Amino acid sequence: MFSRMSGRLLGIAPAVPALIVLFVFFLYPVVRMLGYSIEGGTFEWYAKALGEGLYLQVFLNTFEIAFWVTAICLVLGYPLGFLLATTTPGWATLGFIFVLLPLWTSVLVRTYAWMVLLGRNGVFNRAMLEAGLISDPIPMLNNFSGVLIGMVHVLLPYMVLPIYGAVRRVDPSLVSAAEGLGASNARIFRRVYLPLTLPGIFAGAVIVFVLSLGFYITPALLGGGRVIMVAVMIEQQVHQTLNWPFAAALSASLLVVTLAIYALAQRFTRSSEAA
Amino acid sequence: MSTKNLRRRQAMGLAGAAVVTGASSAFAQEPPKPAQIVVNHSGGSMGTAMRKAFFTTYEKKYGIKVVETSPADFGKLRAMVDSGNVEWDMTEIGGQDAIRAVDMKLVEKIDDKIVDRSKYPEKVRTPYVFASSVYTTIIGYRTDVFKNGSQPKSWADWWDVKKFPGARSMRNHPTDNLEFALLADGVPMDKIYPIDFDRAFKKLDQIKPHVTVWWSTGQQPAQLLLDKEVVLATGWNGRFYDLIKKGGPIAIEWNQGALKQGSFVIPRGAKNAYWGQKMLAEMSVPQQQAIYASELGYPGLNLESLNYVDEKVKPFLPTQYIDQQFWIDDAWYAANGTKALELWNAWLLKKA
Amino acid sequence: MQARSADLKVQGLEKRFGEVAALDGVSLDIMSGELLTILGPSGSGKTTLLKVVAGFEKADAGTVRIDGIDITALPPARRDIGMVFQNYALFPHLTVRANVAFPLEMRNVARAEIETRVTEALQLVELGGYDKRLPKQLSGGQQQRVALARAIVFNPRLLLLDEPFGALDRKLRETMQLEVRRLQRRLGLTTIFITHDQEEALVLSDRIAVMNQGRIQQVATTTEIYERPANRFVADFVGESNIFHGTVTEPGVISLEGGRRLLARHSGKTGQRMGVLMRPERFGRGTNVFAGEVKEAVYLGVSFKLRIACDDGLELIVRQPARGELPAAGTRVNVSIDPEDIHVF
Repeated sequence: MFSRMSGRLLGIAPAVPALIVLFVFFLYPVVRMLGYSIEGGTFEWYAKALGEGLYLQVFLNTFEIAFWVTAICLVLGYPLGFLLATTTPGWATLGFIFVLLPLWTSVLVRTYAWMVLLGRNGVFNRAMLEAGLISDPIPMLNNFSGVLIGMVHVLLPYMVLPIYGAVRRVDPSLVSAAEGLGASNARIFRRVYLPLTLPGIFAGAVIVFVLSLGFYITPALLGGGRVIMVAVMIEQQVHQTLNWPFAAALSASLLVVTLAIYALAQRFTRSSEAA
Repeated sequence: MSTKNLRRRQAMGLAGAAVVTGASSAFAQEPPKPAQIVVNHSGGSMGTAMRKAFFTTYEKKYGIKVVETSPADFGKLRAMVDSGNVEWDMTEIGGQDAIRAVDMKLVEKIDDKIVDRSKYPEKVRTPYVFASSVYTTIIGYRTDVFKNGSQPKSWADWWDVKKFPGARSMRNHPTDNLEFALLADGVPMDKIYPIDFDRAFKKLDQIKPHVTVWWSTGQQPAQLLLDKEVVLATGWNGRFYDLIKKGGPIAIEWNQGALKQGSFVIPRGAKNAYWGQKMLAEMSVPQQQAIYASELGYPGLNLESLNYVDEKVKPFLPTQYIDQQFWIDDAWYAANGTKALELWNAWLLKKA
Repeated sequence: MQARSADLKVQGLEKRFGEVAALDGVSLDIMSGELLTILGPSGSGKTTLLKVVAGFEKADAGTVRIDGIDITALPPARRDIGMVFQNYALFPHLTVRANVAFPLEMRNVARAEIETRVTEALQLVELGGYDKRLPKQLSGGQQQRVALARAIVFNPRLLLLDEPFGALDRKLRETMQLEVRRLQRRLGLTTIFITHDQEEALVLSDRIAVMNQGRIQQVATTTEIYERPANRFVADFVGESNIFHGTVTEPGVISLEGGRRLLARHSGKTGQRMGVLMRPERFGRGTNVFAGEVKEAVYLGVSFKLRIACDDGLELIVRQPARGELPAAGTRVNVSIDPEDIHVF
C-alpha cells in the first residue's frame, strides 16, 4: 500500500514544476479574482453584471460576434486546412507560412494594416472605384464587418491547424476504399472526411469561439467604437473606474459561460465519435 | 530607516565627500543615488519628447539612468501601492484619476523645497499632483475640404451637418463629448458643470449618425483625417500639431476646446521617491519645458517657459487660446466619472 | 448472392516511379472464376499492379480489360471491383452494418434491398449479430470478415485481396485462408490475391504469378510452380531448394561447377549451361548418391532438416521423415536422389 502510494507520487514528480506554474499563474489568480467578485460577501456585482440591460446586451453582442467569427473561420478554414493536408509538401510549407504569418505579427500592426486596406479611401475601395465596380465606397471599416474581417484574420490559424491535423490523421486507405466502393468525391467528403475530421472541427471552433470572447483591440479599432465586447467593459472597470469587484464579476461570468460552452462541445464531440 | 540603509548612506556620504570636497553637507541630506529610476508615462512620441527635454539633462546632471515604461495605468498604480511592490518612481496620471489617487492615498506629497513651482499659476499648485503640461481637445479638419476659414468654429457648427457636411470622428468617452454637446445646445462655457446628463445625451443623439468612428487611441483622429476616412475629428492638439509639422493637409480650430492638464505623481512607497522629486524639479525648469512644448505642442505650466518658445511654434500652443476655451472639471469627474461612463456605454449601444 | 464474375486481361503494363520501374511490361490473363495469386518479394511491383487494376494508380502504358472492355481510363468508383486492403480500411466511425452497406448506398440501392443484402453478406462471413459494433470493438479476424463482406456485397466483377492476412496470427491466418477459398469458390468470384508468403500462395491459388523487379517471372498452377520453376528466381523464392549450375556433357548427364556429375532428365544440348533444382524432401532413393558429413540438424516435428557438406564440395539441404534419433553433427551419411526428381531449367 505504502509503496504503491509512493510510487504514484514518484510518478507525478516530473510534473511538479508544471503544476507549480499552473497554480501560481493560473489557479491562484482565478481564485483571487473570484474572491474579488464577492468582496464583502455580496453578490450585488453579479446582479449588476447579469441583471442590467447594458451588460446583458454587451454579453449578447460578444457572443454574436464570436459566433459569426467562428462560422466564417470554419467556412474559410476547412477548405484551407484540407488543402494543406492533401497537397504536396512543397505547397503545404508555402501555405503554412501564409497561414501562420499573422501569428508572428503584432495584433496592432495587423489591425492598422486592415485600416489601410478597408477604409473609405483604402486600397480595396479605391481599386473598385477605379475599376468602375462601385460608385460609392463600401463601408467595410468602423462597423460590424470590419470587426469580423479583422478577427477572422487573427483567428483563422487556430481553425486551420486542428482541421489540418484531423485531415492528416485520416488514413488514406479509407479514401481509396471509399473510392473503390463506388463513392464520388462529394460522397467521399461527406461520408468519410467530414465525420472523421469532426473532432478537429470542434477543437478549432471551440478555440476560435473562446478566443473571440476575449477580443479587445481589434473590435475597438476596426469597429469604430460601435462594437462593444465584454473585454472592453472589463478593461474599463479595471483601469478607469477601478471597480475591481465588478470587473471580477464580469470576468467570472464570462469564464463560466466559456467553460460551459467548452463542456458542451466536449460532450458533443464525444457523442459524435461514438455514433 | 533601517540600520542597514543608514550604514549604506554613511558609506556613500564618505565616498561622496572624498570625491567632491565641500559638498559634504548637501550629501548628508541626500539619499544614496540609485543606478536608475523608473518613469512611467503614456509612451509614444511623448516619451521621445520627454527624453529630449528632461531625461537627457537629468541623466547628465545626476548620473542616474532614466528607465521609461508605459502606458499610464491607474489600475496598475493602485495594484502596485496596495501590494507594496512599487516599480515606478514617478508616473503620469489622468486628471480625474489624480484626484481619486490623492483621495485613495496612493501618492506622495510634492516636496516644494525640491520642486520649484513659484512661477506656476496658483490654481495648479496642488500638494500631491505635479501639473506637467496643458493640452486641449479641439477640432481638427481637412484644409482641402474646408478652405479659407470655412471650417466649423464652434460646437454648434460641429452639430450643423447641413452647413458642414462630412463624416466626423469623436472620442469614445463621455469626457469632452458631454461638454461639447451642452455647448452646442447653447449652455455657456462657465455653466457646463454640473453636467445635465439628459440634455447632453439628447443633443448627442443628433450627432450620432454622423460620427463614423468613435476613436479610442490618441493616434486615431489624426490618422483618420489623413486617410480621409473623416473630414472632421476631435482630438488632442499635439497629435494634429505633429501632422501639421509634417505637412499634412490638416488645421486646428481652437475655439471652445476642452483644456486639461497633464499630471505626474510619485507613487506612495516609491523606492526612489527623492530622485523622482528631483525629476519633477527638472520638469519645472522653463527652458526645458520650452523644448518639450516645441516638440509636442503641449506647453508647460511654468509661466516663464513661453519666453523660450520659438514664435513660429506659439500659434500651435493651447495656452495662446486659453480665453476661448474651458477647463475640464476633474473634480466633477472624480465624483461622477463612473456614472458618466456607464451612461455613455449604454448610449453607444442604443440602436440609433 | 449471385456471381457476376468476369475475366481480366492486362497487357503491356508499364509504370515508373522516377528511376525505378515498378511495372516493366506486365501482361496477365485471369480466367473467370479463377483465384490467381501474385507472389513476389516486397518491391517486386505486385502492389502497384493491384493498384493499377483497381484504378488507384495510372499506368504509363498498357491496358486493363474486364470481359474484353477496356477500363484503363475509368476511375476506381466506376470499375465495380471489390477490394480488401492490407489494414482492412474499415470506416472507423461506421458500424459493421453501415460499413457493409456503404458500397450499396453509393450505388443508390433501395433501402430494403440494402438491408437484405447486408444481412446476407454478414451471414456469409459468419458475422450475423455483429451489425451494431464499431470496427474497433472487433478482433482482427472479425474485421477481416467485415472487410470481405463489404468487398463482395455489391457483386463486384473482380475481387482484389492485398495481403489481407499479414496482421493475423498463424492459426487465424490458416482459418481465414480456407474461408476465403471456400467463399471464392462458392461465389465463383474472379479473384486476385497478393502475397509475399509462398506457403499461403500454394494453399490458396488456382494459379500463381511470380513477380520480381516489375516483371512476371512465371504464371502457372501451384504444382507446376513448385515442381517446374521457370528460372532460378522462382525456384529459389518458392519453397526450400538446392540450386546449382552446370553444363550438359552428354544426354542425361550434367556436370556441375566443381566437377560433380549428375544424372538428370533434361532437354539441353551438349555444352549448354543449365540450372539444377533438387527439393530437400525429394531425397530418398536414387542413382545420384552423395556422401558427406552432417553440419547441422534440426528437428521439425514431421521431419528432420539436415545441412550436409558433401565430399565432392557441394552443400545440400535435405529433409527426411523424422524417424529414430536426430543425427548428431559430424555423423557421416549417404543421401541419394532419383534423376526423375531433379528439375533442370
